[in-house]
Amino acid sequence: MPTPTSIATNIRGTLATALASVAASVYSTVPEAVIPPACVIVPDAPYLETTTIGKSTVRVKVNLVVSAAVAYNNNAGALDNLEQLVISIMQAMPTGYVVGDVQQPTIQSVGASNLLVADLAVSTYYTQETI
Amino acid sequence: MPTTIVTGRDITFTLATVNYDAQTTAVTLVNAPVITTYQTLDGKAYKHIDDQWTLNIELLADWGATSSLFEAMWTAFSSAPNTALAFTLVSATGASFAGTAFPVAPTAGGTAPDAQTDSWSMLCASTPVLTIT
Repeated sequence: MPTPTSIATNIRGTLATALASVAASVYSTVPEAVIPPACVIVPDAPYLETTTIGKSTVRVKVNLVVSAAVAYNNNAGALDNLEQLVISIMQAMPTGYVVGDVQQPTIQSVGASNLLVADLAVSTYYTQETI
Repeated sequence: MPTTIVTGRDITFTLATVNYDAQTTAVTLVNAPVITTYQTLDGKAYKHIDDQWTLNIELLADWGATSSLFEAMWTAFSSAPNTALAFTLVSATGASFAGTAFPVAPTAGGTAPDAQTDSWSMLCASTPVLTIT
């Protein structure tokens, strides 16, 4: 039975599946608790951009941010771990996903732990269809 | 009565009877008139002697996709470069532009990190026909 595609399954889910090969926990949505090292897929701004003409087909550019997070225990070690995680994310990126810039790492407190986090901009195109 | 605003989202675009809205980011039909100017004793005189219409298309590359426009254009360009392809532009307000344009060779490749895109300038074989419904 044909089922309509969705951004959750065909864009964020596909990206999360591809990133499963990296040595980190992968979340296709923002989780309640983050277990480092981790990759969290969150919407960027603007999130969905209409780029094509016509209304017969709904096709949008989907802008996402992959937040790479590692435990911030040691400054030099955490930065090295973060760089390795970001590179492995880039290597695991599936076909059709445009990889943008990586923003400056920042320290974020989640619960009782500190995380060193850097955001990687990713975008791709999504066509609403039934398969 | 307020002006009806028509946006690019209101356009439908077909080439060789296939709708390619999903790959097309922009489409314009442009005329370059040839007007000869004569300097007479009474001042300037003008004569419109020719028109060259061009169909300009901005696209997302879709090599390998099902019903790929790029592959269809490549086939048309390599097998029948002198055979013009029928195109139709329809706006939501009912203005329809129909004509024929010669195929062009799609550009392959892209620039990191962007999506692969291409721009086509297709010479029209004749003046497009405007139909208003």
